[in-house]
Amino acid sequence: MALIEAQELTKVYQLGRVDVRALRGVDVSVERGEYVAITGPSGSGKSTLMHILGCLDSPTSGGYRLDGEDVANLRGRALAQVRNRKVGFVFQTFNLMPRMTVEENVALPLQYRGGYSRRARLRRARTLLERFGLGDRIGHRPDELSGGERQRVAVARALIGEPAILLVDEPTGNLDSEAGAEVLRAFREAHAAGNTIVMVTHEPDVAAEAHRGIHMADGQVAA
Amino acid sequence: MSLLEALLVGLAEARRHLGQTLLSLLGLILGTGSIVTVLALFGGQSKVTQDYIAEVGGFGTVIVRDRDQSQQPTARELASRRLTYRDAKYLKERATTLSAVAPGYYGDFDFRAGGTHFRGPVVGTTPDYAIINDITPLVGRYLSELDVQRKSRVTVLGWSYADSLFGTPEAALGQLVSLDGRSFTVVGVLEREYFSFAVWSGNELEYRNQRAYIPVTTAFNQFTGNDDRLSFLTLKATAPTGARGAQAQVTALLRFRHGVEDFDITPSGAGGNQDADFFKLFNFIFLVVGVVSLIAGGVVIANILLASVVERVREFGTRMALGATGLQIFAQVLAQVIVIAVIGGTLGLTLGWALTGTVAYFMKMPAAVTPLLAGVAIGTSLAVGFVAGLYPAFRAARLSPVEALRYA
Repeated sequence: MALIEAQELTKVYQLGRVDVRALRGVDVSVERGEYVAITGPSGSGKSTLMHILGCLDSPTSGGYRLDGEDVANLRGRALAQVRNRKVGFVFQTFNLMPRMTVEENVALPLQYRGGYSRRARLRRARTLLERFGLGDRIGHRPDELSGGERQRVAVARALIGEPAILLVDEPTGNLDSEAGAEVLRAFREAHAAGNTIVMVTHEPDVAAEAHRGIHMADGQVAA
Repeated sequence: MSLLEALLVGLAEARRHLGQTLLSLLGLILGTGSIVTVLALFGGQSKVTQDYIAEVGGFGTVIVRDRDQSQQPTARELASRRLTYRDAKYLKERATTLSAVAPGYYGDFDFRAGGTHFRGPVVGTTPDYAIINDITPLVGRYLSELDVQRKSRVTVLGWSYADSLFGTPEAALGQLVSLDGRSFTVVGVLEREYFSFAVWSGNELEYRNQRAYIPVTTAFNQFTGNDDRLSFLTLKATAPTGARGAQAQVTALLRFRHGVEDFDITPSGAGGNQDADFFKLFNFIFLVVGVVSLIAGGVVIANILLASVVERVREFGTRMALGATGLQIFAQVLAQVIVIAVIGGTLGLTLGWALTGTVAYFMKMPAAVTPLLAGVAIGTSLAVGFVAGLYPAFRAARLSPVEALRYA
């Protein structure tokens, strides 16, 4: 069974009195261990699709099974717990907590999961950071790091909870090409280690990193 | 996320937003400080009132007086001899609940010694009076049983009278003083009695310094033509009985002797403090200041927290994306305000403690910050912080993750 199985996903927003149909029946299937890029112009619905796949939002209609669990009808607390256990997010703007150290940032998802002492969380965070070549940065604040380093910290944070899927939103959008390459290498390594990655981007050379592309247009998957 | 952890996060957040924290603290500190001060002064005031009652005879003391006769007295009322010295002797013999019985004859006499002359009160009584009213001679002695038996013409002067008649208490001893033309030997002068509720109120016990004591029997013999009616009767209950028990027995015994209840029994010290109204006003003003400061502090906290929630919408969005539930976000914001409230309460308590000490020192009033008071102060601060934090925390918890992440 596929890791991600979504059928006939629709999403309708109410913008004042106008209904905006962001998704108009989308079928997506992603196998375990795949590296998939979702591409498309802005307004094509790729961000909305990513929000639903990442359990940040629920579809207006349609079915969605993530890692064997039916999550289409989950809300609130239940959805938050699915996010915590099964999804690792990487954002374009890194979204690190500016007043926390690097290791505290990476350990944050485990804090919300519960069951880990602070010491155990930080130990795991340090192990992971060393693997990402950031072992000498654990006590620093995010603003003391370069853009590439920040995004790698964010990748470590996304992976610490051993999620079923890594959801990545324009990971190189705020980086120069060198830092971008650094980050893309981190994803390659994560993929090689067995992680499933779904990446939203509109940059062709970033999309080329993935092994398969899903192109979106007007709220539907284009052929 | 455990509660302790939430509090640690709250502490870290409070430190990270130091400016906001300080502003919120100010309101809480002022409010808590005022309330602590009021309650401490109030507590000190009730303590001082109790001290006063103890000073004028304590809680075991009761005073018996003739009741005003009714408009049309009944035959029984007319037949009663009212309160007499014989009543006092009877009670002393029969009442098992009393440890001391002091009869009181009260008169306004002409005092003369050397060239000094004035009118003032004289109390005719027995040695028990000194026991009941905690009176100690400064020089010489108080009245004795022998004085009462012999109807001696001796007197014990209050401190102020000895001072104005003879210059010093020592000089008064052994001298003669004329009371309404009859000469009495001064056998003792009492200690100067002093009690003040606060710096602005004078000596509440000065009346006791301005009087003379003579044996009650002498008073009847010299001034009333052996009519032994009393102005009052002061009684001291035995410790295990207390004033209430003594009151019951004395009522029964006296009614038996008088054939009618033509007397009133009141516990001593009732209606003691004339300054009570003033203090009520004083306390009320402080309390209002405290409550207003606390409310203002609460509003400031709520405002600042709301602003900080808006400022951190994306942070909350990110935390939600990482798996924080609404409840965890709620707890985080509330923990922050609770940390502020605890710090504010503690500092406010310190301020109140200092303020209480200062007021107590300059106004010469006893006041104390008790552990209970400390608990009340911190509790109040916590309650205000909690109420102020609820709405901002609720707003943060209800954010939609997608919109929060999109928020610029």
